[in-house]
Amino acid sequence: MRRLLAGLTTGALLLAATACGSSGGGSSSGSTSSGGITTVKVGLIPIVDVAPLYLGEKKGFYEKQGLKLSPTLAAGGAAIVPAVASGQYQFGFSNVFSLMLAQSNGVSLKAISNGVASTGVQGKDFGATLVKKDSSIKSAKDLEGKKVAVNTLKNVVELSVRESVKKAGGDPDKVKFVEIPFDQMPVALDKGQVDAAMAVEPALTTIKDQGGREISSPLVDVAPDLTVAMYFTSTQYAQKNPAVVKKFRTATAESLAYADAHPDEVRQIVATYTKVPASVLAKVTLPKWPAGANRASIETQAKLGQEFGFFKKAPDLDTLLP
Amino acid sequence: MRGANAALGAAGLAAFLALGEAVPRLGLVKEAYFPPTSRIASALGDELADGAFWSALGDTLTGWAIGLAIAVGAGVVVGVLISIVPYLREATASTIEFLRPIPSVALIPLAVLLYGSELRSVLLLVVYASFWQVLIQTLYGVQDVDPVAEETARSYGLGTWARVRHVLWPTALPYVMTGVRLAAAVALILAITAELVIGAPGLGARIAVAQTSQAVPEMYALVVVAGLLGLLINVGARAVERRALVWHQSVRGEVAV
Repeated sequence: MRRLLAGLTTGALLLAATACGSSGGGSSSGSTSSGGITTVKVGLIPIVDVAPLYLGEKKGFYEKQGLKLSPTLAAGGAAIVPAVASGQYQFGFSNVFSLMLAQSNGVSLKAISNGVASTGVQGKDFGATLVKKDSSIKSAKDLEGKKVAVNTLKNVVELSVRESVKKAGGDPDKVKFVEIPFDQMPVALDKGQVDAAMAVEPALTTIKDQGGREISSPLVDVAPDLTVAMYFTSTQYAQKNPAVVKKFRTATAESLAYADAHPDEVRQIVATYTKVPASVLAKVTLPKWPAGANRASIETQAKLGQEFGFFKKAPDLDTLLP
Repeated sequence: MRGANAALGAAGLAAFLALGEAVPRLGLVKEAYFPPTSRIASALGDELADGAFWSALGDTLTGWAIGLAIAVGAGVVVGVLISIVPYLREATASTIEFLRPIPSVALIPLAVLLYGSELRSVLLLVVYASFWQVLIQTLYGVQDVDPVAEETARSYGLGTWARVRHVLWPTALPYVMTGVRLAAAVALILAITAELVIGAPGLGARIAVAQTSQAVPEMYALVVVAGLLGLLINVGARAVERRALVWHQSVRGEVAV
């Protein structure tokens, strides 16, 4: 009797939980449209890279296409992919490598617009491997046997450091990678918890202000004009709303081109959705925002990902990319 | 005595603030990572002048208040029901003991999947964490009912509802109020954690943005706000508790004869 009752209670609780879930999900999924304007939710990260979207919204490039962006800032890309896959957001921003990883894990995603690319210039990129001023490490090859901070293990940052060690004639397997968020890298490097750190802006500028020294530009080492991140949607949404996707793509292309040509406006708009101190913001190296993704550079990432054993299953780029 | 306590408390706080100013100034820790009190205070001043800060504060308080209200309502109703329906308490005991220790933060992936980075994600975590505090206290409170009082009420022919109202509720209320006070603090912790990790709008999300932006003094200023909020909520919860229990010996301070 007791067991039966206990079972019934558990069942009832689970039912109640799922009921809450589906009813809640139903009301918010899908874009809302009124008066010819479609509002789309876009999952973004509060970093310089997504400035073109804010700029495009301000300049009316999205409105011209009948779209209204509702940017939602997530703490990290890890929260955006599931929210897009489950239809909470219509679009999201993520690095390409994470999209490939998600796809090889069976999540159906479709990259639709270019996001951000490296500057392609050695020593002048928005990401770099840095060491302390007095460090004995002079090149990427010297990282053998050293501790290197990366924001996420087995992702594009580790991949690029491995490639840059390989290109310098070293053995990437001898590098010890440690996972530390970008914003904590300046402290970790300063306190000697790591020997080197692969940081992106604005942490890169903070480290340089502390006297840190750049030893390589790993994103440039992987491929010239590396496509780092893209905007994406779920395969399901792309199939059901081809018109919205097309409008988003058109407006984003215009926004990317505008941002690439107006760096001063980019710095201004970044100050509206982040808290990067003005002194740092004036010095950060801006990334490149080409209108289209560089497929060859993404193929290189896929190839290296397999070479370093980051994928369980090779990603299918024809399905993933536009 | 009360005045002396307040003076001691103020002196302690002043010493703490002075220490926060002195330690970075003396170079014991780097100013870049641990700014002195005065810089945090000026960053706090800038925050207070920013409209976006107040809307973030409003978002956090909304999540906290709605979450707490749902948790308290559900906790009390479920607690009383479980106690008065025969066999229900025994039947649910193991399930409750299984669900209760699951940390609310472990539900973050589920919250993101169901609701994305919205208020409802925050609510899921807040309600889950604070519900158990209220439920467990309600269950204990109901268990504490004096059997003699209960039997007396029965022999006078009071119905179930009348017994809940006049015997069970007054006994359980002090326990329930303890549960509410604990839940109020837990709800705030979870609201800010959810915003910080998921990025739902609020103080937590603002802390996360300051952190990724390398804006260290602003980040500490927001952390201070979170602390002050916790303090106010605790003071408020105690005041509510005293009001609701004016008649009770724990508040009246008299010994029952």
